[in-house]
Amino acid sequence: MKQQEFFSSRWALIIATIGIAVGTGNIWRFSRIVAQNGGGSFLIPWVIFLLIWSVPLIIAEFAIGKSSRMGPVGAFAKTGGRKFGWMGAFVVFVSTAIMFYYSVVTGWCLRYFFSSVSGDLFQTTNYLDYWNRFAGTYQPLLFHFISISFVAFVVMKGITKGIEKVTKFMVPSLIVILLILFVRAVTLPNAIEGIKYFFTPDLNVMLDYKVWLNALTQNAWDTGAGWGLILTYAIYMRKKEDISLNAALIGFGNNSISILAGITIFSTVFALSSVDAMNQISQSGPANTGLTFIYLPLLFSKISGSSALNLFFASIFFLGLFFAAFTSLISMVELSTRTLIDFGLKRKRAIAIVASLGFLLGIPSAIDLKFLANQDWVWGVGLILSGAFIAFVLWRYGIDKFRREIINGPGSDIKIGKWYNYVIGILIPVQVVILILWWLISSVSWDPEWWNPFHAENAGTAIFQWAIVLTVLIAANKYIVNKTLNNNNT
Amino acid sequence: MDTGTIITMLLVLGIVWGGFGFFLLRAMKYEKMKSQNGEE
Repeated sequence: MKQQEFFSSRWALIIATIGIAVGTGNIWRFSRIVAQNGGGSFLIPWVIFLLIWSVPLIIAEFAIGKSSRMGPVGAFAKTGGRKFGWMGAFVVFVSTAIMFYYSVVTGWCLRYFFSSVSGDLFQTTNYLDYWNRFAGTYQPLLFHFISISFVAFVVMKGITKGIEKVTKFMVPSLIVILLILFVRAVTLPNAIEGIKYFFTPDLNVMLDYKVWLNALTQNAWDTGAGWGLILTYAIYMRKKEDISLNAALIGFGNNSISILAGITIFSTVFALSSVDAMNQISQSGPANTGLTFIYLPLLFSKISGSSALNLFFASIFFLGLFFAAFTSLISMVELSTRTLIDFGLKRKRAIAIVASLGFLLGIPSAIDLKFLANQDWVWGVGLILSGAFIAFVLWRYGIDKFRREIINGPGSDIKIGKWYNYVIGILIPVQVVILILWWLISSVSWDPEWWNPFHAENAGTAIFQWAIVLTVLIAANKYIVNKTLNNNNT
Repeated sequence: MDTGTIITMLLVLGIVWGGFGFFLLRAMKYEKMKSQNGEE
């Protein structure tokens, strides 16, 4: 199959890829995790893992996608050998499973945006009740349908006319929205207390290994490294496009936006909270919705003396959140669609299948928050395996050869040195092993029935679901790989 | 604000925001060079 479409420019690629990386995790998860892990004490390991996890894996994804010009199944088979196509299929499965419930979350953001614009959001003082009344109706299902349909429409238009056009509007708009909210937040009386907490380090907390592990998982989930999404967009990079500088821009750009959002939320919470700010900011709520959908609307209702201004700030916040979620959802749908295109389907047919399955398999998450939390738990942790698989195929190819021939190949603006071999060959595997072990030990300790696959968030349910998927994919490896590579005449 | 907070703030903002600014300027420079050389 001949490569037909490319991003029109370097900036179009970078904006679209920042759209992948910047999602709701930068806004609500980041702030919650910083609060739970001692503010400034968390930020230092978080910056270190940006350098030794996120950026190296983003480089790897760009390089694999650009060199193979195929989605993860074909790309893994071409780079690591035909025996390992199932690893690419696992990467696709994890991101697709996340897409099912992420479309529901995108719908929540859209619904709260409409509620803000209409003024309905400020007709109550009990936001937990407001959330429960929303979550307990058919509305999450309706907004899930709207989100996946709108994304399907964008992806069906293709790369330049669809994805590029929409991300070029949404990503800069999101940044402008965050800057407006940032300025408002840091000029609130007492905002400095929030900024102080955000940056104050505590050596004792920093020595706690859990803070380091949370910093790693936040980087893994937040930057989009290891999801296979960046690999998919890299298929559409122009021939002489740089890899390493673009990867660094995306990693650092993503974390810059997290800091912007973090300072905004900490300033707002500390300035306006009448009760213990830290308890509020670190609360999870049902399916981790607490801070964003229950507590922040309350704060927005008193962010200024004017109710019209309050509605304006709440509206742009939820619009920004919707843009962040939507641009990430686009990439998840494109990943699944591209995999089917590699299988021999036309784009229109592939997107119809992905959108229909996305809607149907998202229904359980739309109507049951426990199911959503379970899927978030199982496939969120599954991303660590995805990251490990990417490092593995580089090792199979030969990390040094991969670095010299592909990463530092035609079009590269900066050359990556030998340090990259050690990061991918040693540091990433060590991080994966430690992370999986820590996850196993801690999940065993909080659930006496840790082996029970029918509990929402424990080791048993994750291992059980991974095992089923991995068994099926390994068994079907030959068929999947042959179908993908033969269709592409490789 | 105590010294530790200020140092952490400078370090984190310097690396993350500074790094982003640095890489952005480098990318702009290379793009300008490429367009001057007649590359796409």
